[in-house]
Amino acid sequence: MPLPDYEKKQYKVTRTMPGAWYLSNYKYKFNLSRMRIMLRGFKEGKILGVKCRGCNHVSFPPKLICGRCLVMPDQWVTLPDTGSVATGSGSPRTDQETGEIVIDPVILVRQDGADTVWIHNLPENYSFHDVYIGMPIKVHWAEELKGLWSDIEYYDPIEDMGDKINKEELAKK
Amino acid sequence: MERIGIVGYHQVRPELDLQMSPYECIFTAVRGALDHAGLKRKDITTVISATNDYYDGKTISNCFKVSAGGAYMKDESKVEMDGAHAAQYAMFRILSQNHKLAMVYGFSMPSCMPFECTRILELDPTFDRPISLMNSYSTCGMQMRAYMKKYGVSEEQIAEATATNWKNAAKNPLALQEAQKADMTAAEVLKSDYLASPLRELMYPLLGDGCTALILAPEKQALKITDNPVWITGVGNCQETYYFGERDLTTSLSMEKASEAAYKMAGVKPSDIDVAELFGYTACEDIILAESAGLAEKGKGDSLVAKGCLNPSGGATSGMTPCATGLNRIIEAVKQLKGEAEEHQVSGVKKAIASGQIGFCAQNNIIYVLEGGN
Amino acid sequence: MCAKVQPAVISAGFCEHASKRSDVNMAELVNEAVEDTITKAGIEWKDIDCVINGNMPAFEGANIPELWMTDHMASKNKPFLRVTTGGTTGGSVTIAGYYAIASGMYETVLAIGFEQQSCGDTSMGLASVALGEFSIMPELGYEYNKIVSNMGAGAAIGIASYQAMSYMRRSRATEEDLARVVVQNRRNAAKNWYTHLKMPTVTIEDVLDTPYISFPLRYGMVCPATDGACAMLFTTEEKARQIADIPVYVNGVGSYSNESAVLAADCAGAGQVDPSEQLGAMKSAEVAYGQAGISFPNKEIDYAEVYAPFPNQELMWVERVGLFEENTAAEAYEQGITALNGELPINCSGGVNSTNAIGASAMERPAEAALQIMGKAGNQVPKTVHTALGHGWGGAVNLITHLVMSDEPQRKFKGGR
Repeated sequence: MPLPDYEKKQYKVTRTMPGAWYLSNYKYKFNLSRMRIMLRGFKEGKILGVKCRGCNHVSFPPKLICGRCLVMPDQWVTLPDTGSVATGSGSPRTDQETGEIVIDPVILVRQDGADTVWIHNLPENYSFHDVYIGMPIKVHWAEELKGLWSDIEYYDPIEDMGDKINKEELAKK
Repeated sequence: MERIGIVGYHQVRPELDLQMSPYECIFTAVRGALDHAGLKRKDITTVISATNDYYDGKTISNCFKVSAGGAYMKDESKVEMDGAHAAQYAMFRILSQNHKLAMVYGFSMPSCMPFECTRILELDPTFDRPISLMNSYSTCGMQMRAYMKKYGVSEEQIAEATATNWKNAAKNPLALQEAQKADMTAAEVLKSDYLASPLRELMYPLLGDGCTALILAPEKQALKITDNPVWITGVGNCQETYYFGERDLTTSLSMEKASEAAYKMAGVKPSDIDVAELFGYTACEDIILAESAGLAEKGKGDSLVAKGCLNPSGGATSGMTPCATGLNRIIEAVKQLKGEAEEHQVSGVKKAIASGQIGFCAQNNIIYVLEGGN
Repeated sequence: MCAKVQPAVISAGFCEHASKRSDVNMAELVNEAVEDTITKAGIEWKDIDCVINGNMPAFEGANIPELWMTDHMASKNKPFLRVTTGGTTGGSVTIAGYYAIASGMYETVLAIGFEQQSCGDTSMGLASVALGEFSIMPELGYEYNKIVSNMGAGAAIGIASYQAMSYMRRSRATEEDLARVVVQNRRNAAKNWYTHLKMPTVTIEDVLDTPYISFPLRYGMVCPATDGACAMLFTTEEKARQIADIPVYVNGVGSYSNESAVLAADCAGAGQVDPSEQLGAMKSAEVAYGQAGISFPNKEIDYAEVYAPFPNQELMWVERVGLFEENTAAEAYEQGITALNGELPINCSGGVNSTNAIGASAMERPAEAALQIMGKAGNQVPKTVHTALGHGWGGAVNLITHLVMSDEPQRKFKGGR
């Protein structure tokens, strides 16, 4: 393909100056009051979501502000350890041993009982072609619970009851 | 122009290192403004924010502020200038009759960012940035030197005006705690170190984290919400050229043009104005802006400070929050008009002006004419 | 609801877009588009009352570049506003231009959107969207390599791939359907003078041959990074009638915003469970159509420009803004309804899929829509266009701008507020 006109007539008199955005000089502030309670729950093997009293929306991981009602939600609810895949994608990475490009599935998890999603993983070497929306999954806890985000190692796919029920119903009819 | 009412406002008191997350800070201001006006979130029809991605240290920073700013499923937009400019956009929206209540907020957190670096990023990247001679301090210094030379104003006069600003800030309950210096004197100002001669350390304002929210409503709506709204009757906005070689730093062309437009819109004369809340980085810039707005004769602006009708709240010296300072000035003017400014109340205020700016040496100025009463 | 003053577009101009416009700097790039607009309109620089502009701030390493670009934007000694909202910047600027006229405060407003991506680092800019979150996550026990792999898929392309998967599941659209959209766009772009990716002979097979960038999107499907600028001139109804042959009236605007998708503030759960549901787009469309008095968008709109850097989004948006029934867009593309000579042509300019100068892209959509109504577009549709729409999205697919334009002014109601 021939070069576009603009590449050809690059002006030699143009001056180019390097610039930098000093992002390393920035600090970021967080309010961890909600996150701490969730992590304390992890230590006990509990999944805690926060519920807004105004609109009954449950968020997990907990939100600081409910945008719908413009209040700070403060009612804590325990959620089951099951959930479903809201949607997913594949993230390519180079395998350090073989040098091949492996595509890991990355999923958005909607915990049962919550109205929000968060990014998480499936077990290693799970093919991203097998991921589908609405796939039921279950929390895989770490061996030792430390009250950290890594307590939920990944989500385990579990048996899809949906197919079974449909088949039984069809058989009855 | 149809009058626009200011029906509610809230300012988070600036602090050097505010112990709040950005979203929490915005939430506090927006919630506070709604409570102040006695309104609910569902009454607001449009939200205009004034934040800057370089101040927040993230791109598209407004996309996560939707919930905190009360903009969920609202007509939302962002003006990346001073909060006062965002208020003008909100005015557009209200005057078009498409919207009935507008929330405006300005937010930044200087404790988390290298503010002077972000100002350097405002410079022309090919010539001024690599030479690295221009920054907030040096430009303020140049402006002050030019002004002093041209009108024969002495360093003591500027220091006196600066000391008055610090003293005024002490009376302002919403000023930065560190800026409340009730026993500041001109001598002390002159004793501090040079940042860029003749600009001294105590002549440059302190930066504070904060957020300010303002609720605007059209005339009919405003009268339903409150009995004594403050009216915006005129607005003027002007941007002059960037290159210092083309500008006369001893005066502000943009302020002259902007104030002319605002006075014409409001149908007032500069002599009608009782109080001016202007956003200048230094006391000298305040004076230059006030002179350009026609409040005093050129070179005699420091008399305004002595009289107490220029920045009775302390101006930017009372704590500068980038993106919110212009809104803070509007709020202070509103308080003066309502008679709610406790210790720093100027008596008999009927008409006031408030301004906001961006750029080096106030390259872009926006000015509001505010009037009280029904 | 009816604006106080009826705003109209009298002209729209572009600069030439390319991946690297190294022959000009940012100011000169903008100036090309401004000159083009003003000359086309046949007015002078001094006739402009107010300038509104915007670009994606953190991509070029210049904070408020308008300050030093003042002279190149016809904005010296004039009222000036900078409106930026990420991807929607162009759309937001256009809407600000509309409101500046509708408020009755100014008579002639120049709106400018621009981006010189070759100056900066776009991927770095996008990574900083959640840099704060990334820096706190390790402290909360989120493993660093997981952040890299999970969030690497969470930047703009990532959000699109999540969205693509969810849309494809909903509508049963196939990868071939996506490729078809790309082919239509790239071929249209070849006929438009200023566009970036011109591929007059590209086929569906060519697109499907390229490797995955992030499943299910392939390299051949995604938008390029472009340098470019766009400008539009707004004025009042009366003035527009004097100046322009065919003034284009802006009759409805909306810019509504939902909670963010995929990523959320302070590491919390994201509010949009299904990124292809798009409540914000529906609401913006509803409001804009309501203002313009359009009850049946699929019948009343003759031409649409939607902001779709990725093909799945084009299919999704045309459904969400009411141009097609849900899950039928892919079929319509297959039948050629959306082609240049079809019943409802879409993105005949080549769309964002072929030219993506971020800050300008969302403005090029309404600009192209206006030019189609005027009959002056680079790739003009053969049929007469009466009503057209320009759309844009930005942020974490949460802020949607929507403009409805027509060759007839808004229906006026007595009374009003």
